[in-house]
Amino acid sequence: MNTQNISDELLNSFVDSELALDETGEMFSAIGRDDALKERVCELRGLKEMVQHAYHQPPINKMSPIKKLSAWRIPQIQNMPRLATCMLMLLLGWGSGWIMFAGSQSMGDPKLAHLLESAQSNDLIEKSGNIIVHVSNSNPVRLKTALDETENLLGSYKRANRQVNVEIIANGSGLDLLRSDVSPYAKRIAMMKAKYPNLDFLACRQTINKLQKQGIIVKLLPHTGFANSAVEEIDKRLHQGWDYVRV
Amino acid sequence: MNILSLFCGADDFQEQLEKIRPKLYRVAYSWSHNAALADDLVQETLVKALKNTRQLRDPALLNSWVFSILTNCWRDHFRQHREMEDIDELEDYRCATHSTPEDDHSQSQIVSRVRDAVAQLPIGQRQVLTLVDLEGFPYLEVATILAIPIGTVMSRLCRARQALKTLLMELAPQHSAQARQIRRVV
Repeated sequence: MNTQNISDELLNSFVDSELALDETGEMFSAIGRDDALKERVCELRGLKEMVQHAYHQPPINKMSPIKKLSAWRIPQIQNMPRLATCMLMLLLGWGSGWIMFAGSQSMGDPKLAHLLESAQSNDLIEKSGNIIVHVSNSNPVRLKTALDETENLLGSYKRANRQVNVEIIANGSGLDLLRSDVSPYAKRIAMMKAKYPNLDFLACRQTINKLQKQGIIVKLLPHTGFANSAVEEIDKRLHQGWDYVRV
Repeated sequence: MNILSLFCGADDFQEQLEKIRPKLYRVAYSWSHNAALADDLVQETLVKALKNTRQLRDPALLNSWVFSILTNCWRDHFRQHREMEDIDELEDYRCATHSTPEDDHSQSQIVSRVRDAVAQLPIGQRQVLTLVDLEGFPYLEVATILAIPIGTVMSRLCRARQALKTLLMELAPQHSAQARQIRRVV
């Protein structure tokens, strides 16, 4: 085997044990004869080991606990009475939910509405009463839904005479919500801010910097606060026990 | 085969999936470099695997079958979120953490440097590299998982390692030359 003609593909195949037995033997003897080839093999092996080392323990997702796979298990026959009870409860829950949904006049995003409804549950009120709403999308329907639901939430807490702090943080294209030149809801936001002192609007400074680098002049609505980064702010609030809702 | 043994079979299948889960997460993380997204992808993959158990005809191919589902989930994620801002968030995270002392410290460590370099590879190369290096899949199985020819697997792997080598040299701490000088003096 001419060591100078050995391609990188062939060396990779050797390092990954993809070669046949005779080819592997030839490669070993070629490596023994050529120090430069030996160095190339060592480099490839080193890279492979570095990649393995880098992902040996990937970081665990802190935002949501891992769901147990057993939650999806097919129920066993001996659990049939329990299953029947669960199904009955589920049907009851679905029925009452459907009636409540039909009665409500909300036209908002059902996913967000559901999240905020769960955030309004008594457990959460007693536990924290602090909610951070993350807006990262400029879709006007989503922006409107976010404001509608936040206002409903603040209203319900106010009526119940309970304290709640809400932060709406915008980044990415969601920053449009807080830009005075493009926001479709500037007046509404000003009214909400005046009505609810415990409501804050924050803009992500990273997104602003990015837009400015593209030559876009970013003008924000009055009373808009800043966060160094949306992710950093959300992480901080989660550590402080706030509830997180993403639009 | 009675119905009870059918359920027992399902239990075995779930146990096998539980064993594969950490591997799936490691690969999903190495593709996305986003723990939350990796977690979502793994959950979605497992749900799809459980729903489509019947599609797996040869139990010996469970590993590559599940990883091909992960590949599809990853592809679907990009199709669905083409207009979303997740990539911005990733960049935000990088910008935000670059300035912290902890990150400065970790940047000097091999793990962060290698992850940064892998994250800079084109996704096709990243997928091949991680499936071969992290999970030890043979080239032929990688080709099946990613639905690409084996020649493409080999060329992508080759390019990925060349790029990684260059990137790691660029990312290497600048003071290495100085350190060498000090050694010579001693």
